[in-house]
Amino acid sequence: MHPDAIQLLDNMKKTRESILFIKDEEIHVREVNNLENTVYLRMYHKIQVYPHETVYVKDLAQVIADEKYCHKILNLPVYKISEKDRNFVVIDVMKVINKISRTVNGAEVQAIGPVQSIVEVIYKKKRVSVGFFILIWMLLFLGAALTIIYFHEDVSMGAAQQRIYKMITGKDDKHPLLFQIPYSIGLGAGMILFFNHFFRKRINEEPSPMEVEMFNYQQDLDQYVIMNEKDEGAKKNS
Amino acid sequence: MTVKIVFVMFLGLAAGFAVGSGFVAFLAVLGIIPRLMQLSKTMKMVIAYEWAVILGTIAGGMGSLWNPSLMLPPWIMIPIGAACGIFVGMMAAALTEVLNVFPILTKRIGIDEKIVILMTAFVLGKIAGSLFQWLYFDSG
Repeated sequence: MHPDAIQLLDNMKKTRESILFIKDEEIHVREVNNLENTVYLRMYHKIQVYPHETVYVKDLAQVIADEKYCHKILNLPVYKISEKDRNFVVIDVMKVINKISRTVNGAEVQAIGPVQSIVEVIYKKKRVSVGFFILIWMLLFLGAALTIIYFHEDVSMGAAQQRIYKMITGKDDKHPLLFQIPYSIGLGAGMILFFNHFFRKRINEEPSPMEVEMFNYQQDLDQYVIMNEKDEGAKKNS
Repeated sequence: MTVKIVFVMFLGLAAGFAVGSGFVAFLAVLGIIPRLMQLSKTMKMVIAYEWAVILGTIAGGMGSLWNPSLMLPPWIMIPIGAACGIFVGMMAAALTEVLNVFPILTKRIGIDEKIVILMTAFVLGKIAGSLFQWLYFDSG
């Protein structure tokens, strides 16, 4: 090979090595930067505040960050609750990231978990009046009593019970109370068994269907609020 | 003649299929059997429970067709009555749960901790309504 060509190749190799070296250095530097400026953020699913309170980052999210900014980030105000917010405000993680990156230069915010928090504004504690409560209690009581009578009439329960009585004992009885009274008490026992929630004494630790149902209902409500409550800076047109 | 008999038998079988599968579907929607297994921690016995339902249905069908007289002492009606009541009670409870009555009610009124008292109203109402029917309503 021509010596010039060898020289040229050698030069090229050197240049490449030096470029690689510089790149390595850069990557290394960037990584160090990252580690120092990374802020991990995990929004709470739902928080409760009082009217006219200011919501800080520490109310909205769990934060892991370098010690020198951590305190500063936690005490950043994000939103001030006002009259017009009524019951719910949804605060998006983008808003929090925006606040943080404006305060800490070059912060790399890593959001983990829920992408928004539902802020529920609690106006004065609702207290249900005793009279109202008794009214509802009576409504449920009488309603339940009436519906079970309707049900029994609908399926001719009386006639069926007379037949069962005849079948088993061989005697005719227009009012087989020996069957009907335990049946009525069993009715209540069956409901208690199903709900497994009575008088704070549980039959076992698992959640009752009612609790699961309440949880699902709450979940649906929260989802609705997230989708429908206008939050600051949200796109208004849909 | 034979054709008629075969057709009627086939019709009966078809009706039985429809009613039987409907009954099982209803039980499945209400979820009473899973609930009982969850309470008693006997998930492995599910096949035995299925057979209990099937045999019970067949026994009920035969009983209503043949009208047998077992001539047993009347007190035997007490446990049978209680068992029937518990089953119907569980069905009633399952229905109110399917209809989502309580979660909506408590949200609307804003009582969370008193839900147990409201459920007591429901249970006592069922017992009182049933007793009222057998002791006064029917005899009157």
